[in-house]
Amino acid sequence: MLTVVVVHNGIHELELMFQPTEAATYTFVPTGPGFPERLAAGLANADALLVPNGSDHVAMLDAKDVVREFLDAGKAVLCFDGWFTAWIPCNHWQMDNSRRTIEVRYQIGTAPHNLLDGVNIDELIFNHGISGWWACGYITPAANADVLLTDTWGRAMVVLDEATTPGRMILTSSGPLADFSYDGNNAHAIARLFRNFLAYLSQSKANHEERSIAV
Amino acid sequence: MKNVALLFNGVWSHYVFATAPKYRDIYQLVYVHDLTDAHLAGMRALVIPFQSNQAAIAERKDVIYRFLAAGNTVFVEGDSRPDWIDAQWEDRPVNNYWWVENPNNPPVADTDFQHPLFHGLRPRHACWHTHGAYTRIPSEARVVQRNGDGEIVSWETNHYGGCLFATTLDGIVEQGVQQITHLDNFCDNLTQWLSGVRPAPERMTIDPEAYGITAIS
Repeated sequence: MLTVVVVHNGIHELELMFQPTEAATYTFVPTGPGFPERLAAGLANADALLVPNGSDHVAMLDAKDVVREFLDAGKAVLCFDGWFTAWIPCNHWQMDNSRRTIEVRYQIGTAPHNLLDGVNIDELIFNHGISGWWACGYITPAANADVLLTDTWGRAMVVLDEATTPGRMILTSSGPLADFSYDGNNAHAIARLFRNFLAYLSQSKANHEERSIAV
Repeated sequence: MKNVALLFNGVWSHYVFATAPKYRDIYQLVYVHDLTDAHLAGMRALVIPFQSNQAAIAERKDVIYRFLAAGNTVFVEGDSRPDWIDAQWEDRPVNNYWWVENPNNPPVADTDFQHPLFHGLRPRHACWHTHGAYTRIPSEARVVQRNGDGEIVSWETNHYGGCLFATTLDGIVEQGVQQITHLDNFCDNLTQWLSGVRPAPERMTIDPEAYGITAIS
């Protein structure tokens, strides 16, 4: 079971997208005055920080040091939103509209830890036959980060960075992910990919605890 | 000269819009948690986009209504809450694909094309999708758009001094997201109505230098 802190930017019904499951419980930390201190307190006993679609990247920049400390402690940061401020170490998100969304197709890059198992990539490409609905812009990943998905032009769309810090960063190029499906189908790729990430983080946590006990 | 304040809660699509070369000399980002009367001094209009922090807005509603009382315009998109606006917004399913599956039945059925926001637009430029509907609006308000069920999509009132315009459209967010390619038509009309300046007609571009920033100016 993972304890996940979700940044809450006052977006309508955000809580519905992150209901407790057997895999994870969620607590919400609101943005606004005092956010870095509130976030630090919320992360004290958490396994992961989740920055969902519609988050406050001014607030995240203010909390940049809190995030880095959390990563340095071996914890996980998941960002599914365009981070136009430089609060994520060594990974850069860039908005771009120079490519036609009708030409967007995704390809699997590296796929470590079975993270793409059961994920129908076409569901991330097409919505009612319309392509380019999911991600926006592209990521310039950190050196030695794994690029799980690329777009038509070879640009990083989903990144797993286990190299930059002792922790893990899971990043999408603003493609929303949650244990929730827009079409009511819990098998949809956005839900499956999200659950795969949680399962991987749970396994990593269990492995870490086993090693700690052994020592 | 920037004369339209864009209330901003750190959401990337708002930032993309306000920093785009075509709009950045007109719109001033104002962080919602910092909002005071001083931030709106010299502005003609205040834009409150979809995906705003409704609780933070409610805490600062006096600033908004003082700005209106001075004869300025406040333009509200997407959802809102009755603790800061005298109306009732309700959620509805969002239809992003009507133009593929049922192109003759757009989400908005009636638009007042004499309104300067919509004047000269084609019907498909005046509606891409909606985020909910208003089931109650101020008694003196005027309806500007309705959906196919007759529900209110856009309305306005001058009851508070200047013009308060509310719509469940989300032009600022979607222009920032850039997945709908015809929104320059709507956003350029909006900008001209609010600022008095019509942006260059070319499609919105993005300045790469605006990304990965270490401080908000």
